[in-house]
Amino acid sequence: MRRYLMALMLTTITLSLASCAHNRNQATLYERLGGQPTIDAVVENLLYRIADDAEVVVFFANTNIDLFAESLASQLCDISDGPCRYEGPPMDRAHQHMGVTNVHFNRVVEHLDAAMEEEDVTLGARNELLGRLAPLYAEIMRLQ
Amino acid sequence: MTLRYTVPMHLASLSTLSKALLCRFFVACFIFSLAIAVMPSHAGSRILGTGGVSAIEGAAGGGLSPWAVLASTASEHEVGVTAAATRAWVDDYRLTVTGASLNIYDRAEVSVARQTLDLDTLGGELGQDIYGAKVRLLGDVLYHPWGIWSVGLQHKRLVDGTTPTALGADETHGTDIYLSASKLLFSAVAGRNVLLNATLRNTDANQGGLLGFGGNQDGRSWLAEGSVGLFVTPRWIIGAEYRQKPDNLSEAREDDWQSLYSAYFFNKHLSLTGAWLDLGDIAGLPSQRGGYLSLQAAF
Repeated sequence: MRRYLMALMLTTITLSLASCAHNRNQATLYERLGGQPTIDAVVENLLYRIADDAEVVVFFANTNIDLFAESLASQLCDISDGPCRYEGPPMDRAHQHMGVTNVHFNRVVEHLDAAMEEEDVTLGARNELLGRLAPLYAEIMRLQ
Repeated sequence: MTLRYTVPMHLASLSTLSKALLCRFFVACFIFSLAIAVMPSHAGSRILGTGGVSAIEGAAGGGLSPWAVLASTASEHEVGVTAAATRAWVDDYRLTVTGASLNIYDRAEVSVARQTLDLDTLGGELGQDIYGAKVRLLGDVLYHPWGIWSVGLQHKRLVDGTTPTALGADETHGTDIYLSASKLLFSAVAGRNVLLNATLRNTDANQGGLLGFGGNQDGRSWLAEGSVGLFVTPRWIIGAEYRQKPDNLSEAREDDWQSLYSAYFFNKHLSLTGAWLDLGDIAGLPSQRGGYLSLQAAF
């Protein structure tokens, strides 16, 4: 009975090791996302979704959307090991006292994932990018 | 004399009535689920699947074990309600669970569940009511580096303690407490997300409480439960669950429980879980294996 579980755990560990080894020889996340053209398309798609979402769009009332899009694209490029350096404000300062709650945060995560799916980003690349963005939650919420 | 015969007849008709009601509840639950599945309506803002499904004791979790996540997809400032109907078939028993839970601001969860175990081979049935509460201590299953941590309790009361007491159980009611942690690992296996859960439970419940509480071999003990699941897609998770069990009754040896499960989230309102169970020996009947189906509606 326990042998069964052990076998499953071993399989899981083997699979994850195999995927680690596989990833090492693979392209960067930036390349697997589809490079800058796809990142730009995802950002544009995301902004249309935000524009249609009354609960979230209010945060962008005083935002220069073109600058924001450029900044977000460079951040996604940077965080996915692409040839960019994000030079915008740190995440805590950028969201300071905006009143962002978990509700808003989750909505934007859903919009981003839906945008990636619509722009034909593979599930593996979507999950990995979301995983790299997840730690930003603490920074974004620090000064609320 | 009259009284003697009236009582069992009265009990029998009550049992038939409760079965008919249960059947109706399943049908109503199914129709209601279909209705909300096709109807766009407000749902909690947490990401799909982060509320788990309904465990057999009513709390949000896998099937056999509670997880640290709270039921439904309610987030802060939001309230979520779930209802679930579950049936498990093993060689000599059939378990039916109906339950409901309330998530308040993704901080506290309260739940109720009614379990009925039909003793297909031995005859008769056992039942218990479970009142549960769970509080999120810290974290988030997706965003926090340590995942989410919760504590919970489950107060269980047998409907009729005659059989469990005859088998040697000390009590007909008991309370479990547990500490649980859950964490999603993004892109962990072949680009898929992996969900890990660990629960430490202090309990004196025999077979989850259906065979009473405590016994001649042991009293309360700390037991470990765990699960691992792989999100094949954001809507579909497959995995395995394990639940360590006490062994308090010399008359009814008890084994650890395990399952292989598959849960599909049609949307934030409806999920269907199927599983293969291996529950070991139950009340003297060996090697109980079988299937499990659970439908959960959330809104």
